[in-house]
Amino acid sequence: MLRRIKGEALTGWLFVIPYLAYTIVFFVLPFVWGLLLIFSEWNLISPVREFVGLGNLIEALQSRRVHAAAVTPFKIMAIFLPAVLIMSLGIAVLINSFKKRQGLLAVAFFLPYLASGVSMSLVVKGVVSYTSPVNKVISNIIGYVPDWLGTPSLAILVIALMIAWRFSGYYALIFLSGLQSIPSELYEAAQIDGAGRIKSFFKITLPQLYPALYSVMILAVGLMFGVFTEPYMLTGGGPNLATHTWYLEIYYQAFSTLRAGYASSIALYNAVAVFIVVGIVRRIMQAWGRAHGWED
Amino acid sequence: MGQGKLTWRRFVRVMDKYGVMVLRWVLAAVGVLLATAPYLYMILQSLAPWREVNRRLLPTSLTTRSYEWLLQGSATAVARPWLRGFGNSILVTSLSTLCMLLVALLSGYALARLRFRGREGIYKFILFQMFYPAIILLVPQFLIVRFLGLYNTYAGMIIPRAVNIWAIFMYVSFFKSIEPAMLEAARIDGASEMQVLFRIVLPLSRSITAVIGLFLFMERWVELMWDLIVVQEYPMMTLNVMIATMSGPYASYPGPLYAASVILTVPIIIIFLIFSRHFTQGFKFILK
Repeated sequence: MLRRIKGEALTGWLFVIPYLAYTIVFFVLPFVWGLLLIFSEWNLISPVREFVGLGNLIEALQSRRVHAAAVTPFKIMAIFLPAVLIMSLGIAVLINSFKKRQGLLAVAFFLPYLASGVSMSLVVKGVVSYTSPVNKVISNIIGYVPDWLGTPSLAILVIALMIAWRFSGYYALIFLSGLQSIPSELYEAAQIDGAGRIKSFFKITLPQLYPALYSVMILAVGLMFGVFTEPYMLTGGGPNLATHTWYLEIYYQAFSTLRAGYASSIALYNAVAVFIVVGIVRRIMQAWGRAHGWED
Repeated sequence: MGQGKLTWRRFVRVMDKYGVMVLRWVLAAVGVLLATAPYLYMILQSLAPWREVNRRLLPTSLTTRSYEWLLQGSATAVARPWLRGFGNSILVTSLSTLCMLLVALLSGYALARLRFRGREGIYKFILFQMFYPAIILLVPQFLIVRFLGLYNTYAGMIIPRAVNIWAIFMYVSFFKSIEPAMLEAARIDGASEMQVLFRIVLPLSRSITAVIGLFLFMERWVELMWDLIVVQEYPMMTLNVMIATMSGPYASYPGPLYAASVILTVPIIIIFLIFSRHFTQGFKFILK
């Protein structure tokens, strides 16, 4: 017996060795190095690494580019959140209303999640281009062709809707499994009380979906701070930094201007921003959940 | 009753019975069309004559010129190694996904099912890693890859993406839900832990493995930033990165870029459809 327990411990360690090796090289080491980089100025090439103390962190706070990158998540969110919530809730309710073929529909609505941001950006670039069939229809109605990617608000709209399209089916599946765990007695009781479809959606479905809504909100808000591919492909952060994002700025500082330390400082601010905003969203959601009888 | 006149009440009753059903099907059809529209657009434009690309929704005729041009280039533009890019994508994504699955399987099993000192500590560290913002690690990870001489190599794309913390976490919680008696029986029969894992545990976790593998594969397949940073030369690029870097110089040839996008998108959709059998079942576990 003792031998077996010893053998088990040995096997256990053997099984986690690949994970441990990876973690030391690609997590612990970069973790320490990343913290050191924040306080140094280094161009990734020269042997000289200058200690600058809080210099990078202070510079980032004053940078117009970082300010723009810090604001963009909220601008995208203002469109993305309502759009993706309506779309994914709609899809979930729709799939749930079918008695058969739910799996097939779920698979179909999940397809956007497979899309490469790169190729979708090409499609969007084509669709909003000056001569596109879509713009032809629009210019017939409003009399001119809008400059989709050259106008700040429209560029944000395009990027927000692209991300919403991609994630709607994914979030819908989270909502769907939430919908299916709502006991049907609740609806029967509401029906007896004379509540219609719409009323029972807001009085029963939505509050009962709290766990699903909670996860979707946190995922969706967190997502806003890591946007990269769409603005990289479509606008390069423009016009005039209107679609500039955290990841674009970090990428640009680290690999174009080669300022490793400065880029790491911005990454730190990005992490802090995510932490604070997701924390606030978590609080709000929990308060809403408590108001509807859920415990934390 | 019978075939009475169409009264308002009658209309409401009929609508209640069939209207909702019709509405449901119409909404589903419109929804699926919207979900797939960009894919359809991509396919149609890749087969359209060049003068019609991005100018007509439905091309007047179909041609494979964009695909041919992609492979051969022209007098003015050199053909890039697109096929090799496709091969690179397959190589990098499948090796990376296999490693992530294997490591997650082994360590997930150890952390859920084997007793050894330090197990709790490792599990707590995994939770910490899962919530630690990866972006702070980006620059130093790149520096380490370069220091190890992996810059501009396949290994530079595969090894830093050979372990996935989320996958380990998923396996741990799944393996904890397996009935211990089944494993114990096999052990008494003299099976080694490796045999228990691959002969008993793995077949039990088919759905979840399919879904975890699917997510890992999908995300690796369309990875942009890391592959963009680590690789510099065309012959080493994944297809996704190649399209991204090409949209500059090739921008005046949108047709071939759509063709490349189709080539990039088709395999992932096929793989997804093959595994979609497991999808609904396995996905529910992942959401828990």
